[in-house]
Amino acid sequence: MAKAIKKPAQRQVLLHLEDVWKVYQMGEVEVAALKGVTVEIQKGDFVAIIGASGSGKSTMMNLIGCLDMPSKGKIFLKSQDISQLTESNLASLRGITIGFIFQQYNLIPTMTAFENVLLPLEFQEMDDKAAHERARYILDLVGLSDKTFHLPSQLSGGQQQRVSIARSLVSDPEIILADEPTGALDSVTGREILETLHRLWKEEGKTIIMVTHDLNLAQYAHTTIELKDGKIINISQRKEK
Amino acid sequence: MKFYKSFKHALNMVLHSKIRSWLTILGIVIGVAAVVAITSLGQSLQQDINSQLGALGGDLVTIRAGASRASGFFGGGGREGQVGGITSSASKEEIVLDKTDVQALRGVEDIKLIETEISGRADVYYVAEKGSTTITGVDQKVWFQITTSKIKDGRMLGPADTNVIVVGGRFASSFFTTQVGINQMVTIGSRLFRIVGILDDESSSIYMPIDSAYETLEDKTKGVYDSIIIKVKNEDELDTAVEHINEKLRISRHVTAAKPDFSLTSNKERQQQREQITSSMTSFLTAIAAVALLVGAVGIANTMFTSVLEKTKEIGIMKAIGARNADILAIFLLNAALIGFIGGVLGIIFGILLSGFLPSLMGGSAGPLSRLSGGVISIQTVFIALFISIMIGVISGVVPAYQASRLRPVDALRFE
Repeated sequence: MAKAIKKPAQRQVLLHLEDVWKVYQMGEVEVAALKGVTVEIQKGDFVAIIGASGSGKSTMMNLIGCLDMPSKGKIFLKSQDISQLTESNLASLRGITIGFIFQQYNLIPTMTAFENVLLPLEFQEMDDKAAHERARYILDLVGLSDKTFHLPSQLSGGQQQRVSIARSLVSDPEIILADEPTGALDSVTGREILETLHRLWKEEGKTIIMVTHDLNLAQYAHTTIELKDGKIINISQRKEK
Repeated sequence: MKFYKSFKHALNMVLHSKIRSWLTILGIVIGVAAVVAITSLGQSLQQDINSQLGALGGDLVTIRAGASRASGFFGGGGREGQVGGITSSASKEEIVLDKTDVQALRGVEDIKLIETEISGRADVYYVAEKGSTTITGVDQKVWFQITTSKIKDGRMLGPADTNVIVVGGRFASSFFTTQVGINQMVTIGSRLFRIVGILDDESSSIYMPIDSAYETLEDKTKGVYDSIIIKVKNEDELDTAVEHINEKLRISRHVTAAKPDFSLTSNKERQQQREQITSSMTSFLTAIAAVALLVGAVGIANTMFTSVLEKTKEIGIMKAIGARNADILAIFLLNAALIGFIGGVLGIIFGILLSGFLPSLMGGSAGPLSRLSGGVISIQTVFIALFISIMIGVISGVVPAYQASRLRPVDALRFE
């Protein structure tokens, strides 16, 4: 059953999924990973998408992140129907509006921490000097100014995830999309990462969308969307941010 | 993404690539080196021929008795072996060149100089040694003006000379155990000759006044020439001159164009034939080398496909953080072009080195290529080789790069 989040009057809708279906062809059989999902995500919200394995949360994240297109239905990002955008415009929108944090960090192994953080700005063709300053500032912000020229292989898991967070923040995107961000980390480091995300939400006003199967992590979020078998079965909101 | 940023990422890919990429580059290196070495040797051979052309004189035409094989050796109505009342020792059927031909040629306007020669082998004695070499009897009044040989020591034959000779450079330096110098006497046949000049060449030939040659060489008839050498007035109009000479001789010798009894060869023509053979040979060898290059190109394509497969996840990451299809395409195409470029540069260097060594590898100083300097390569060839190398890289990389650029980010990120 698809449900819509109740929209506070002063808030603006950043992302809107309207009867979204995602169907995969598995040989002769069609498998629906998402079944008519309708949801609105407000600007400045901290949303946790939870659900068991196979519930469709990764599929939903891919669609929200404009990494994939729905089989049916529409996705509006900042009121723009993403299916109407050209590949080039979609890539630019992704680069500017969304910052990704992956479970396995997904850093380019042959690039230093600094180069990894700089990369999104290079795709945006930002001026070199400004880009370098920005990358250094963000690395400093996540506490890695002393690891600037280290390769990912020379960093711990927590440090790699912080580089990944720095990379997601460098373009100053409105949305931070985190896919199981603590999945590969120990509990202490995982909590640090969560606190970093929480700080970004509270202090920087970023919209955080986090996919997780861990209900404890979902407690950090303001809004929780629960998925089961490709459908939203519950949306809950904490009373205060 | 800015071009130089794409280039930086492509370079980064090459520098961090595994040994397979360097083996791919090696494939291009071998192909380009082979092509460059062969082209270089071809150019070297061409230069050698051109220098020979310069040495022989492109404005010279040689007339010999008897038709070239293509036209049949014996022509109808040719002049037989009786000249100026002296009966030739040759058979009655033998076709010769004589003074009548020289007289006829004097009427051709295009001719600047006419020189007559006879040649044959004779025994030469010096101190207690004996050897056999080619003796050429020349019209000494004209020879010094018509020959392209240069004097290294002494002088050319003069109009009033008798019993003197000019010898080739090798004859003077190494024909006998001891060196032979100016004013030294050698015996040719049964006559004594004084050396007045040593030529600046590598021949063992001996040149003497034609009258002395008639007396020295057996089986030579006075007034009969083995060849008539002609220097034309204008080298650029050599073909016209040859046509006029042909006409004049045909009339004088009462033969038709279909059945001539003399042959006419210009050095230029001979050089052109040699150039054509060299050019065909170089083209053939280059074609073989090009196959090596083609194999190298397939290697690049293979490496690029593997590279795209290996970097699928990285492509997904890049796309997730804002890379457009064009950015990915540019990075992978530049990567392929760089492989071609690096292979090309190294190939050119090895090719030049190889072409320098090849002449000595193929038989040393006595080998067929020993005269060639090797390592001769024009800047044009370098640029063409580089351009082709880069193009091979780009063409081989187009499909894999396009495939990389079209990857869906969601699929690429899922790739393990």
